[in-house]
Amino acid sequence: MPDVEQAEIYGRRPPWYLRLPAHLLLAAGGVFFLLPLVWMVATSLKPLDQTMRYPDSLQSAFLGEGWKAEIGGKTCDVVLERRVAPAPDRPFFIVQPKAPFAAGEMTHPFGKDVWDRYPVFNKQELVRMNATVEPGMNVLADDVNRFDPAAGILRLQSGRALSATLVRHIDPVAEGDELWVVREWRAEDTDTKEVGSTGGDVTRAWDVVAKSQLQKTVRVIPENYPVALRRVHFVRCLLNTLFLCTLVVLGVTISSMVIAYGFAFLEFKGRDLIFGITLATMMIPFPVTMIPVYLLYRDFGWVGTFKPLWVASWCGSAFFIFLLRQFYLGLPKDLLDAARIDGCTELEILWLVIVPLSRPAIAMIALFTFLGTWKDFLGPLIYLNHEAQFTLSLSLQAFASEHGGTPWHLLMAASTVFSLPLIVLFFCTMRTFIRGIAMTGVKG
Amino acid sequence: MKAELRRAITGYAFILPWLVALVVFIGYPFFAAFYFSFCDFPPLLKPMFIGTENYRQLVIDPVFRRSLAVTLIYAAFAIPFGVFVALSLALLLSARIRGQTFYRVVFYLPHLVPSVVVALLWMWIFNPKFGIFNVVLGLLMRVADAWTGLFFRLSADGGPLVHPAAVLLLVGPVAALLAYGPWLKTSASTRHGGFRFAAATVLALTVLTVAFAVLCWLLPEDMRKLHSPGWLADGTSFPSVVKFAPSWALWAIIVMGMWSVGQMAIIYLAKLQDVPVQLYEAADIDGASWWDKTRHITLPMISPVILFNVVMAIIGTFQVFTEPYIMTRGGPEDKTRFVAMFIYDQAFQYQNVGYASAVAWFLFLLIVGLTMLAFQISKRHVYYAGR
Repeated sequence: MPDVEQAEIYGRRPPWYLRLPAHLLLAAGGVFFLLPLVWMVATSLKPLDQTMRYPDSLQSAFLGEGWKAEIGGKTCDVVLERRVAPAPDRPFFIVQPKAPFAAGEMTHPFGKDVWDRYPVFNKQELVRMNATVEPGMNVLADDVNRFDPAAGILRLQSGRALSATLVRHIDPVAEGDELWVVREWRAEDTDTKEVGSTGGDVTRAWDVVAKSQLQKTVRVIPENYPVALRRVHFVRCLLNTLFLCTLVVLGVTISSMVIAYGFAFLEFKGRDLIFGITLATMMIPFPVTMIPVYLLYRDFGWVGTFKPLWVASWCGSAFFIFLLRQFYLGLPKDLLDAARIDGCTELEILWLVIVPLSRPAIAMIALFTFLGTWKDFLGPLIYLNHEAQFTLSLSLQAFASEHGGTPWHLLMAASTVFSLPLIVLFFCTMRTFIRGIAMTGVKG
Repeated sequence: MKAELRRAITGYAFILPWLVALVVFIGYPFFAAFYFSFCDFPPLLKPMFIGTENYRQLVIDPVFRRSLAVTLIYAAFAIPFGVFVALSLALLLSARIRGQTFYRVVFYLPHLVPSVVVALLWMWIFNPKFGIFNVVLGLLMRVADAWTGLFFRLSADGGPLVHPAAVLLLVGPVAALLAYGPWLKTSASTRHGGFRFAAATVLALTVLTVAFAVLCWLLPEDMRKLHSPGWLADGTSFPSVVKFAPSWALWAIIVMGMWSVGQMAIIYLAKLQDVPVQLYEAADIDGASWWDKTRHITLPMISPVILFNVVMAIIGTFQVFTEPYIMTRGGPEDKTRFVAMFIYDQAFQYQNVGYASAVAWFLFLLIVGLTMLAFQISKRHVYYAGR
């Protein structure tokens, strides 16, 4: 933050052997403070299966990995679906059945090793297995769905036997290599509905490939973002949040402006007493007033509407009234007297003299109120009960709890979008920010 | 008289909205909560006065006692940690070294992240299987194991605990003795800076190594767990020998709290800028060290802000709600059921409005008491310029 840079704290510049540890400590701290944010963005760009895997290196913790393979002559992104282990006595084949059958009649397309590796695959997705395998499709004949090459008969797990033609043998691979069933992967698989997998989709290209033939790639999935935003009903919630923010920011700013003027420049009986009470109220924790205020709003019939969240803000906020009053008192009093002599009413003085002079303080209040409203969770949680009214924080939480916190890539994408406006706002209004923080500190 | 009346009317007209708020949204609820706390208040019925029944229940309710214990333990760790970390951070950030603007922005950024996002993000970070925290922690612990293993046997399965190589660790204290020994103190400190730096590094490494080995020897189970803790899902306390130590889940929330400590640090920093440079210059002439200047100039000069931040931290920690609500819902075994969450549950889940009000008032009195304690303690230590 640039303008805190000036002062020469501690006199002279420290020697290098003090600067170096200071740098090291700051860098270590910086990693702790920055890494979560980097990790948030990194996760938001990963494919689902990569968020469900213990990262074997730091690089793979941040970058989603994937595989590319050649299927039918063209290179495409694939998912490793299942490891196959052909033995000389039980050879594996790729065959084409001559009659249609339900995919469910074959072996479960995921072996145990795949369940272990990708625990996210959910059983409902396997309903897809009821898709029919048409003649002409390739299927894998393994040690359960046996193929007899001499007779041209494929014996399914279900017990049915049908004739099939051999496409090719799967040759055993060299020692140390592995054979994998790979299936084409598409970026839209990132949606949880698609379970981030090819889910045994029989319509997708697949093949059995030696692991040594696969190429490792980095998978960056910006498609997570639109999916995530759709899932949290982003546009609707954004509008709700902005609606609330606008009303609250306007309310707090305008009312605090007026009220602080009353406390700063007008003299009347009981003013200082009321101001003292105002300061004291800042000590009252929110949980104490939360319940009666809720009951009050319930009696008004306001629960389930936005009103409880913004109406009170038009009555001012103790902290900002206090800050603004302090700021007002620092303004030159002569201006006020001059305006009074010119016959201005108090409202005119406020509007024409004080407000233009206190623009920085007002901007600070508007900014901090905006931040507070944007981030607020408990308020909306208590008062909003209809999904169409949800603010972003509520919607994000609802999305998270509804899925038991599984689709981390989508949650992190939505979180990134939710936090980004505040960070951008911070960089655009750094000056106001710093002044505001300095002012809050003055209080002590 | 007439003018005074007019002034009063104008004045009250200006603060009218605030008077409404003071009465309707603050005063009434404040006292109503007090009244409700002595009532049985079933939903949709009128409150019925039942005396101190709610408070009596509060004393015997095991869930409340657990949640109070959790909150107090959390406060006992989070407040001193927060103040210490924020203060050290502010001192570091105020040092005249390059890149401070960047560091300041980095340390402030987490404060901008909405609490719902903070909660979700840290849930993901603390994911025992796939989270980055355990990845990094595991890496660090392996490095520490390997390094300490050079000097000590870390496993407790017989054999000598100390390697012959542990003798090497004597180098550290000896180096430090040489560097900081009285015979060097007389010469200009900058001349032997490099040597001192090296000695300090060796000393720090020695201390860390010995400490790690001792911990592995005394708390083998805890140290094994530290390689990959279950965090939010683990309700056992760490270190397990200390009865009132925070549980792993609570540690996770404490660590998470440290993440947004930047706001406090920046407030300190703003105040640090106001310390008159002349004081430091005078101290420099007197030959004061960095520590002397910190102890006798910086800390007294910013002590009002320290008090302010402590009070804010007290008020804040006793109201922690969003993070545990989203991350753990109070579990495991109520080990993260903070009082604010207990109030929320009693009021809005179980509809025990009277009981919830009693707890809320208890919380209020606790906060007031602790704040007053802070002011009382601070009386002797806080220095107000111009007073």
